[in-house]
Amino acid sequence: MIGRSFVVSKLKTIRISLQLQLQFGYLDSRLTMKIPKNKKQQKKEEAGKINETLGRIGQQLAQVADNSEDSSSDSDFEVVDNESLSEDEGSISESGMEQSEPSDNEDVVVSSDDDNNDDDDVGSAGDGDDRNGDDTSNSSEVDGGESDDSREVVEESDSSEDEVAPRNTVGSVPLEWYKDEEHIGYNLAGRKIKKKERQNKLDSFLASADDSKSWRKIYDEYNDEEVELTKEDTKLIRRLLEGKAPHADFDPYEPYVDFFAWDDSKHPLSNAPEPKRRFIPSKWESKKVLELVRAFRKGRIKFDDKPKEESNLYDVWADDSSLTERQGLTHIPAPKFKFPGHEESFNPSREYILSQEEINAHQLLPEEDRPKLIPKQFMFYRSVPAYEKAVSESFGRCLDLYLCPRARKKRINIDPETLKPKLPSRKELRPYPTTCYLEYKGHKGPVTSVTTESTGQWIASGSNDGSVRVWEVETGRCLRVWDIGEPVLQVVWNPLPELPLLAIAAGQDVFILNTGLGSEEEQKKIEELLCVETPTAPDDSDKNASFISWGPDDKHGGVRLKHFKTVSSIEWHRKGDYLSTLMPYDILSPNLNFIYLLIHTHLIGIRHCCEAFCLLSLCFCSFLNSLKRESRSVLIHQLSKKLTQRIPYKLRGLAVSSAFHPIRSIFFISTKKDVRVYDLLKQKLIKKLEPGVREVSSIAIHPSGDNVIVGSKDGKLVWFDMDLSSQPYKVLKSHEKDINKVSFHRSYPLFCSCSDDCTAYVFHGKVYSDLNQNPLIVPLEILRGHASAEGRGVLDCKFHPRQPWLFTAGADSVIRLYCH
Amino acid sequence: MPKHYRLPGKKKEGNAAKYITRSQAVKYLQVSLSVFRKLCILKGIFPREPKKKVKGNHHTYYHVKDILFLKHEPMLETLRDIRAYEKKVKKAGTKKNWDLVERLNKQKPTYSLDRLVKERYPTFIDALRDLDDCLSMVHLFAALPAVERERIQVGQIHKCRRLSHEWQAYISRTHKLRKTFLSVKGIYYQVEVQGQTITWLTPHALQQVLPTDVDYNIMLTFLEFYETLLGFVNFKLYQSINMKYPPIIDSRLEDLAADLYALSRYFDANARASVVESIDVSSSEESELKLARLQHHLPTNELGALMNLVEDVGEKDEDDAETKECRNFFKDMKFFLSREVPRESLLFVIPAFGGVVSWEGEGAPFPESDQSITHQIVDRPTQSRKFLSREYVQPQWIYDCVNFRVILPTDEYLVGRVPPPHLSPFVDNEAEGHVPEYAEAIKRLQAAARKEVLPLPGAGEEDLGDPQNLLGIIDRAEEIEAAEKKRKMAILQKQYLDEQKLKLEGCNYYDRQNVSKQKDAEGLDADADADADADVEGTDADADVEGTDADEVPPPDLRQIAEDADNMSKVLISRKKRKLLEAMEIGNERKRAHVKLLKERKKKIDEAEKSR
Repeated sequence: MIGRSFVVSKLKTIRISLQLQLQFGYLDSRLTMKIPKNKKQQKKEEAGKINETLGRIGQQLAQVADNSEDSSSDSDFEVVDNESLSEDEGSISESGMEQSEPSDNEDVVVSSDDDNNDDDDVGSAGDGDDRNGDDTSNSSEVDGGESDDSREVVEESDSSEDEVAPRNTVGSVPLEWYKDEEHIGYNLAGRKIKKKERQNKLDSFLASADDSKSWRKIYDEYNDEEVELTKEDTKLIRRLLEGKAPHADFDPYEPYVDFFAWDDSKHPLSNAPEPKRRFIPSKWESKKVLELVRAFRKGRIKFDDKPKEESNLYDVWADDSSLTERQGLTHIPAPKFKFPGHEESFNPSREYILSQEEINAHQLLPEEDRPKLIPKQFMFYRSVPAYEKAVSESFGRCLDLYLCPRARKKRINIDPETLKPKLPSRKELRPYPTTCYLEYKGHKGPVTSVTTESTGQWIASGSNDGSVRVWEVETGRCLRVWDIGEPVLQVVWNPLPELPLLAIAAGQDVFILNTGLGSEEEQKKIEELLCVETPTAPDDSDKNASFISWGPDDKHGGVRLKHFKTVSSIEWHRKGDYLSTLMPYDILSPNLNFIYLLIHTHLIGIRHCCEAFCLLSLCFCSFLNSLKRESRSVLIHQLSKKLTQRIPYKLRGLAVSSAFHPIRSIFFISTKKDVRVYDLLKQKLIKKLEPGVREVSSIAIHPSGDNVIVGSKDGKLVWFDMDLSSQPYKVLKSHEKDINKVSFHRSYPLFCSCSDDCTAYVFHGKVYSDLNQNPLIVPLEILRGHASAEGRGVLDCKFHPRQPWLFTAGADSVIRLYCH
Repeated sequence: MPKHYRLPGKKKEGNAAKYITRSQAVKYLQVSLSVFRKLCILKGIFPREPKKKVKGNHHTYYHVKDILFLKHEPMLETLRDIRAYEKKVKKAGTKKNWDLVERLNKQKPTYSLDRLVKERYPTFIDALRDLDDCLSMVHLFAALPAVERERIQVGQIHKCRRLSHEWQAYISRTHKLRKTFLSVKGIYYQVEVQGQTITWLTPHALQQVLPTDVDYNIMLTFLEFYETLLGFVNFKLYQSINMKYPPIIDSRLEDLAADLYALSRYFDANARASVVESIDVSSSEESELKLARLQHHLPTNELGALMNLVEDVGEKDEDDAETKECRNFFKDMKFFLSREVPRESLLFVIPAFGGVVSWEGEGAPFPESDQSITHQIVDRPTQSRKFLSREYVQPQWIYDCVNFRVILPTDEYLVGRVPPPHLSPFVDNEAEGHVPEYAEAIKRLQAAARKEVLPLPGAGEEDLGDPQNLLGIIDRAEEIEAAEKKRKMAILQKQYLDEQKLKLEGCNYYDRQNVSKQKDAEGLDADADADADADVEGTDADADVEGTDADEVPPPDLRQIAEDADNMSKVLISRKKRKLLEAMEIGNERKRAHVKLLKERKKKIDEAEKSR
C-alpha cells in the first residue's frame, strides 16, 4: 500500500520528476507481468512505445524540473539533485535496454504461468524495485522530511496516504543479497524486517481465484507485501499506455512563463548603438525587386497558369508561291521501305513455307545471313500474335533515316544484254577456222611447238618426247621423224620458201636441220650453207659469242649451236639468215661461274700474284660492263657467216619472248613485265610497251608491223597500237588460265590465242590503213577439242600461211587443224 | 607525305573541305551530341557519302553546307535555352527552392515545328510523298502502351491515336484506299492521295512488346516531328473536303473506342449540313453535335439511313475512275462485325469501299438482328446462332476482295474453314516469275467479273455482230489459252520444218536425234525463262542449226555453243561493265533459283496431295 500511495503522490507532483521516471520503469515491469496471454503481442509493442514516450516525457520533465528548481533557494541540494539525476538517467537507459531485450523472455514467462519463472520475474521486478528504493531514498531526501528529517517539506499532495514511507531501508541493492536471509531489510528504526511466510502455490492460486480483486494485486518484493492498485492507479496506467501524460491535469502545452522579467530591467543587456542598416532600405532587396520587376515586364516570369492552346494548326502550304524549292543542298529522299511479299502474309501459299530441314539449315548459317522472317502459316487471323519486333524494326528505320549516309546511286534497270557491245555479224567476217578438220597423231608426249612451212604444204612439230616430226598438211601423213633426244621446246621453219630449214630448240642446243624438201638446186645451196668445218673453239678475244659453239650435227646432218643455258624460244628473221635465240634464265649465274672458273685455273697455273690480280680485276670489270650494258639472254645468230652476237642492250627482268619486226629492222623483246622495242640499226631503245598484266608469256607482231599482241599468264590478251601509245589499245579477258601463245595470220585479218584451259580463241583483227581509224577487234570462235594433260592445254597455235586455217598443238600429244 | 596532308595555313579543298565528320560538326556547333542528333532529326539533315573519305572509313561524314544550315537554325538557340533552363530547374531542385522550380516549370522554352515542316516540305505534294514513315510511326505509337520509364506519355499516345484516326477517316471518307495486306508484322495499307502512293503499316491491335535495347528518345524525337507533320497534312486534307479541323467527335463514341465511327459521323453530319442547308432545315448538324457532345447523347436511330443518304449525295464527279470503283465496291452490302474480328481495321476498310458496317457493342449503328445485313464477319471456329439471310465469312474475305477488286465467292471463307492463302497485292507475280495458284484462280474470277460488267455500259447496242463488242466479251483466260495454243503450234511447225530441212540434206539419224535433243534443251530453256523469251530462243536455235548444216559436222553441245557466244561477247567489254554484268547475272540467277525452289515445293505439295 505504501508503494502505491507513493506512486500516486509522486505522479501528482511534476516538479519532482526523477522518481516519476523511475516509477515508469517499475510500472512497466509490473505491467508486462500482468498482461493476459492473448494481448501479449499488442502489449509488447505498446510497452516499447511507452518506453520511448516515457523517455521523452522524462526528459521534458527533467527540464521542467531543472527550470523549476532554479527558483529553489537551496543551491547545495540542487547540486546533489543534479548528480542523482544524471545517475538516474544512466540507470534509465540501462533499464530501458534491459527491458527491451528480455521482453520476449518475459512473454514466455507470462505465458508459462509457472512459479519457478515467477521467481525470475520477481528478480526483474526487483530491479525496478531497487530503483524504486533508490528513488525512495532520494525522495525521502526531497520530500520525506516529514518523518524525521529536518529538511523543509514541499507540501504538495493533499492525501495523507501518500506520505507513508517505505518500510525497507536497504536502498538499491540487489535483493539477491537477502535471498538466503530471513529478513528482507531494515525498517526505519534499524530493526530487521522479517520475510513473511510464503503461501503455498495452491493456496495462493485458490486465494487469487476466490478474491475478485486479485487482478489488481501486485506483489511488491522490495517491501515484501502485496499492493492493490486503486482505480486512480489503473487510470494512470491506462493514460501511460495511451502515451499521454500520466496525470489528467497535466497540460504539456501550457503557455511558457518566462522566469526572467525582461521588461523591468533598468539596464540593457547590450549597450551597442543601433546600426545604420536598421534605418535605411536594403540595397540587395531593392536589386532583387528590380530584377523581378524587369522579369515581369519582359515576360520572363508569367503568372498565367493556363495550359497552352494545343491545336495551333493552320494551312502551312497556303501560299505555295513563296517557297517552292527546298533550301540548302540537294535533298536526297530516303528510300521507301520494301513492300511485303507473299511470304510475309499471315496465311501464305503453302509453297512459301519452309520445311523443317530448311529451317534447320538456316540455323546453321551465320546470324547475318539468316533470312529475317521465316514464313509461318496461321489458319485464322485471330491466331496471329503481336509482332515482337515491331518497335525494334521501327527503331531501325529511324536509325537508318538519320544515321545512314545517303548518296545518289544510279540504279541501272536494263537488260544485261545491252551491256554487251554490238558486234558485227560473224558471218560477214568469214572465213575463219571454226571446226576441227584433221588430227595429226604420232607424238608420244605433249606437243610443245608447231610450225608451218612458208608454202603451206608442210608443218613441223616438236614434242616433249624428244622427237620432231614433219607432216603433210592435207593428208596428215608424217614425212620425217627426227629423234633429238631431249624435249623439244620450239620448232621454227625458215620463212624463205627456198630454204626449207628447220630450227629446233632442245635443251641447251639449237639445231638447224635440213628437211630435204625442195628441188635439188636448193638442196645443194642448203648443204653449202649448213657446212661447218670444225667446231669453232671458244674464242676469248671475240666478245661476241665466247660461249656459243657452232658445229656440225653428225646425227641429223645439220648445224648445232651449243648454248650455255636452255634455249626457250627461237625466231627467224624474215630474210631467213638471222636467228634469234632466247635463254630466259638468270644471266648472273653463268657469268659468275665462268669468272670463278677463270680465277681458279689462273690461280693454280700462274705463279705471280700480281698477274692474277690484274686478271681478276680485268675479268671483274668486264663482268660489270656486261652487267651494265648487255644482256646475254638474247643472242642473234647469222647463219651465212656462222656468227653469234649479243644484243647490245641491257634488259630489266627476265626475257620471255622475242620477235623481229616484219618489215623494218626492229627487234621486240618481252620481259615478264613489259615489251621493249629496239632499233637494231641505231642500236637504241625506241619504245617500251606496258601491258599491265601479271606475267607476259608471248608476243606476236601484226604483219604490217604497227600492232602487237601480248598474251599473259593471267589469261589476258593485250593489243597495242604502236602508233597510239605505250598503253594497251584493248585488253581482252578471254581465257581463264594462262595464255601460252598468241599469233597473227600472215594475210587474213585474224589472230588467235591458245591457253591452258584447252581452248583457242580466234579473233578478227582488222587494221585499217587509214590512221584515224582504230583497229577492229571481234572475237570469232572458241575452238575446243584438246584434252588437258598434266594441267596444260593447248601449247601452241599457228595459222596456215595461205589459208584461214589454224594448227593447234595440245598437251594431249595431238595436233589439230581447224578449217573454215 | 600522306595523301591528304596540307601545309599549315593552306586552304583545304576538295572532299577535305566539303565534308566534316560528325564529331567535328558537333564541336563546330558547340552543342552536345544529343542536341545535335535532335536537330538533325527535326531538320532532316543526314550524313552524306563523300567520294573520298578523308578522315577514314569508320567516320560519319556530313556536308559542310548541311552543318552551316544547322548553324543558322533559330531552333539551335532554343535548344541551348532549354539546356540552360534544365540546369536552372535542377539547381533550384537541389537547393529545395520549390517556388522557383514551380515557377520555372511553367515557363519552359518551347519551339514550334511548323516552320520546319514548311521548310522540309515546301509543297503539299512533297509532304505527301514522304508520309510513309510518318504514318507507320504514328500508327505504331498509337498501339503502344504509355511507359513512364521510357518517357512515353499518355497524352502523346492519345494524340497519335487521334491523328491516325483522323487520317483513316479522311481516307475512308474519300475512298482513297487501294490495297491492304494482312501480314505477320501488321496490316499494310496503300492509299493514293493526290496522285501520291502512300503505304504504311499498322501493328496488330494487340499488346505490343517494348524492347529494352531501343533508344526511345530518338523515336520520340522522330515522333515529335511526325505528329506535327501529320497534323498539318490532316488539316490540309480536311480543308480540301470542306471539313473543319480538328473535328469534333462524339465523346461517348470516343469512350467506346469507336473513334473512327465517330469521325465518320462527324463527316456525315457536316456533309448533311452543307447539303441540307439549302433546304433550310432548322438546326446545323454541327451545333447539334456540339450539343450532343455536351450532353453526351446522340440520337442513335435511323443512322444507317443517314449514312446512306449522305453517301449518295456526298461526292462529286471529280474523282478518277478508280476512286469511283472503290466507292461503289461494297455498295449494296451491309456488314456486321463480331466481337473477335479486328474492328478498327475493318471499320476503316469497309466504309472506304462503300460498305455499311456495324459491330457488336454499344454505340453501334444497327444491331446484329438487323435483317438487311448481308455479311457478318466472324473469326471463330463455329457460329452457334445463324441468320439465314446473311453469310458468315472470315475477315480475310474482305481484304482479298478489296485487293483484287472482285467480290469473291464466300464458300472458301466461311466460318470454320481454312481460308485460301492470303496473297500480297504488292507483288508483281509476272515479274517475280512465280504465280501462286490462288492468284491464277482470282485472275480467272476477275476476268469473269469483267465479262459480266463489260457489256453493261453498251447495253443499248446489243449487237453481237459488232467485233469490238465480241472482243470485249472474250474471256481473258480463253484469250491466254488461245495465245498459248498458237505458240505451241508455232513451235511444232518450226520443228517440222527443221526436220524437213535435215531430211533434204540427207542427215543421218544421229543428227536428227541431236536436233531433237536440242529441242529438249530449248524446251528446258523456255521453262526456265519467261514465256516471252521462248520465241527468241527458238530463232537462236534455228541459227545454230544452220551453222551445223553448213559445217556438216554434228555440233558438240548446244549449251556449249550458247556459253561460247556468251563468253565471246564478254571478251570485249571493259572490266567495269563486265563486273556489272556479272553482278546482274548473279542477281538474276538468285531470283531464278528462288522461283525454282518455290516451284519444286509446289510440285512436292501437289504430289503429296495426289497420293493422299
